Amino acid sequence: MKSAKNCYAGKILRIDLTSGSINSEALEDDLVGPLIGGRGIASKILYDEVPPEIEPFDPENLLIFAPGALHGTGVPAASRTTLTCRSPLTHMHGDGHSGAQWGGELKRAGYDVLVIKGRAQKPVTLIIDDDRVELADADRLWGMLTSRTHTALRDETNIADLQTVCIGPAGENRVRLSAVFHNGADKGVNARCGMGAVMGAKNLKAIATRGTGDIGVVDIESLKAAYKEYVEIINTDPHPVGGTRYGTCRFMYHRVQFGIHGAENWNYGAYPWEKLDPEIFRSDYQIKAGSCVACPIRCRRDYRVVSGPFAGTTAKVEWETIARSLTCGIKEPEGVIAWANICNHYGLDIEGTGDTVAFAMECFENGIITAKDTDGLSLRFGDTEAFLEITRRIAMREGDLADTLAEGTKRAAETIGAGSERFAMHVKGGEMTAGDPRGMPVRAVSYATSTRGSDHLRSNPYIEEIMKPEEALKWWGSEEAADIAKGLKGKGRMLKFSEDLVTIGDILGLCKFAFYRSATFPWLYQKGVTLATRFYNACSGRNLSEEEMLLTGERVWNIEKAYNTRCGASRADDTIPQRFFKEALKGGGPSGGTVVDREKFEAILNEYYEDRKFDPQTGLQTRAGLERLGLNDVADDLAARGKLFGN
Amino acid sequence: MAKKKRIIYTNRPWEATGICSGCRLCELYCSLQANGTFNPYRSRVRVVEMATGIDIPVTCQQCQDPACQAACEFDAIVFDPKLKIVVVSEENCTSCQACVGACPYGIITMDPVSNKAIKCDLCGDSEPACVEICPSRVLGALDDLAAAEFNRRRAAALLAIDDELLRARPGGEDPVMKKLEKKG
Repeated sequence: MKSAKNCYAGKILRIDLTSGSINSEALEDDLVGPLIGGRGIASKILYDEVPPEIEPFDPENLLIFAPGALHGTGVPAASRTTLTCRSPLTHMHGDGHSGAQWGGELKRAGYDVLVIKGRAQKPVTLIIDDDRVELADADRLWGMLTSRTHTALRDETNIADLQTVCIGPAGENRVRLSAVFHNGADKGVNARCGMGAVMGAKNLKAIATRGTGDIGVVDIESLKAAYKEYVEIINTDPHPVGGTRYGTCRFMYHRVQFGIHGAENWNYGAYPWEKLDPEIFRSDYQIKAGSCVACPIRCRRDYRVVSGPFAGTTAKVEWETIARSLTCGIKEPEGVIAWANICNHYGLDIEGTGDTVAFAMECFENGIITAKDTDGLSLRFGDTEAFLEITRRIAMREGDLADTLAEGTKRAAETIGAGSERFAMHVKGGEMTAGDPRGMPVRAVSYATSTRGSDHLRSNPYIEEIMKPEEALKWWGSEEAADIAKGLKGKGRMLKFSEDLVTIGDILGLCKFAFYRSATFPWLYQKGVTLATRFYNACSGRNLSEEEMLLTGERVWNIEKAYNTRCGASRADDTIPQRFFKEALKGGGPSGGTVVDREKFEAILNEYYEDRKFDPQTGLQTRAGLERLGLNDVADDLAARGKLFGN
Repeated sequence: MAKKKRIIYTNRPWEATGICSGCRLCELYCSLQANGTFNPYRSRVRVVEMATGIDIPVTCQQCQDPACQAACEFDAIVFDPKLKIVVVSEENCTSCQACVGACPYGIITMDPVSNKAIKCDLCGDSEPACVEICPSRVLGALDDLAAAEFNRRRAAALLAIDDELLRARPGGEDPVMKKLEKKG
């Protein structure tokens, strides 16, 4: 049993599946000091130990599980665990973050980080039960859905509170759109970047964990004081209140307000959404206001279909589930819930899968894919039956078409050819997420600069919507930055800040909805920087300033950026699909008829690079910029590879 | 003189936010109150995950005639005249686990760190930590009369399930009644 001085367990657990070796080592101060935890430490381990010569499915690729530094404590919404590896979807830095209890169990068992290397001869489960760490045969579990795997592990071990992570058939089949699931189908998911496939390639079916040790806190009184202030904000701020009422489905109103649905494979900004009204989900389908561990916001939603052909179907549904259903033209809650059910049980990433199916649908509508390819399936936008069936086939790689789609949108378009490339909506191979960027230029740039492919959780470009002009002037040097559609100056600086800001959340394990969304900028800053820093100091016993906290976010971002550069990315990759530049948003509505203005896009990107201290021409990092963050080793490595500006 | 209290799951199932959300903040802050660390396994209140969307907080019911106390041969479960409930005397506890076996709720259990029996002591004089932290406000420290309001509903809920089951049975035949009739 570990001692409990602060929020760190103090050890890294290393498993080599090839040799079966199990080792633990001390979590050194040179990792904790500059990188704190979670995504910070995981990104550095990946950078140091997985050079670009190692391919994503190679045994040498690592799976790095790193609960946020505050996960397992009673800090509100400190529920996030990072999973990092080289992504088989983007071939670059890959990570995903889930809200579940497993990370806390890992820490209570005595480990802040779990690093898995190698490939087992046959399917195995890793069991971590306090001091007992062992690999067990998983033949019986191979092929099982995520939900069954979880219950089978609880049955086998006879531990009612056992926390698990596992992959479903999609991960086993190395579907590049697969994810890693916590406690079966309906809890947290480490999604994006196809990490389920890496776990599958390692023949690792599941990790079952129980940890009964303590997680400490150094200054209980300041923790409680910060908690009180946090609760005062969330009780006043209308943003979290909406989350409690509707869950993340609430973002429907935001998308309607701006007309940025991205429906039918990012063709339509306004779209018939009325049956997917959050109020309908709330009154007719919601089971209750659920939550991830330690979260007072309670935006987790499980929905149940009561009548009709899908009666009895239950699934955890997030906003992105609904958004990606709209991308495939699905307009009814029943279809959304049934689809979430399939993705969650087969182990697919909702976002990547939704976009890939939408891509296939647009190909079908345009005759590039025919009924012969689909084995008779009418793969049209809005066809629920086809939507569900093709999703299941992708998970199982059933038939040539599904096998191709299972490689993700980018690779599928390369294989299918025949002009399908223009329907492939991705950035660096990672499928599009969230809202359509047309009409919101900084959102477009944020999708382009994200270090794990297109992503809305990698930054917080929405802060332009909540900032007052005078705040924008103070922070970004220009009132323009608060103007959503027309503003230009200051937007690049705003983007850089927001990227560093949300990185803090992943480092500490704080939920972005709970800490990095607010109705006003002062609330957002108070929660996301001031209170986050106070929570961390209270739990760790360190004494970081807010500036140091933001600098840590910037440091981690730079490590990931360098990783991608090392994998071959350059300024040319920091872009968005051509459709957004060339084709006007259809369907009318507030953003109807707009495109992303390329000049504005480039101007914001230039300002962003300058503020990041990257070279604007090449997008390469500079020695001065890296050494300012203490990343001299990264600078040396990039220089040796000819990837540092000026070398 | 203060009345005896107990922690009750004061749910309001007609409200979506009136049901235990499963956030387990009660477990975390119970263990913080008791030990100064976070550890759900050392918590005196435990959230039981029953199925997707069903999480139920369970804690000591502060029985009138506690089975745990009766089972203890070492005077480790003693009556606290001020709180009017029984509490664990760590000094006397021999870790024999007899109380754990006796508790009908499975709620008195062994602390994995100290290896002593643990049960809810209502946080002594202060406001119980679980009640204070619960974001859904579904935990309350209630006296006997107030607790009865909820216990009555619990009893009714069990009978309501019974009604539902009987109604669902085609033909309306009830095997239990039949058995009883035969006996008579």
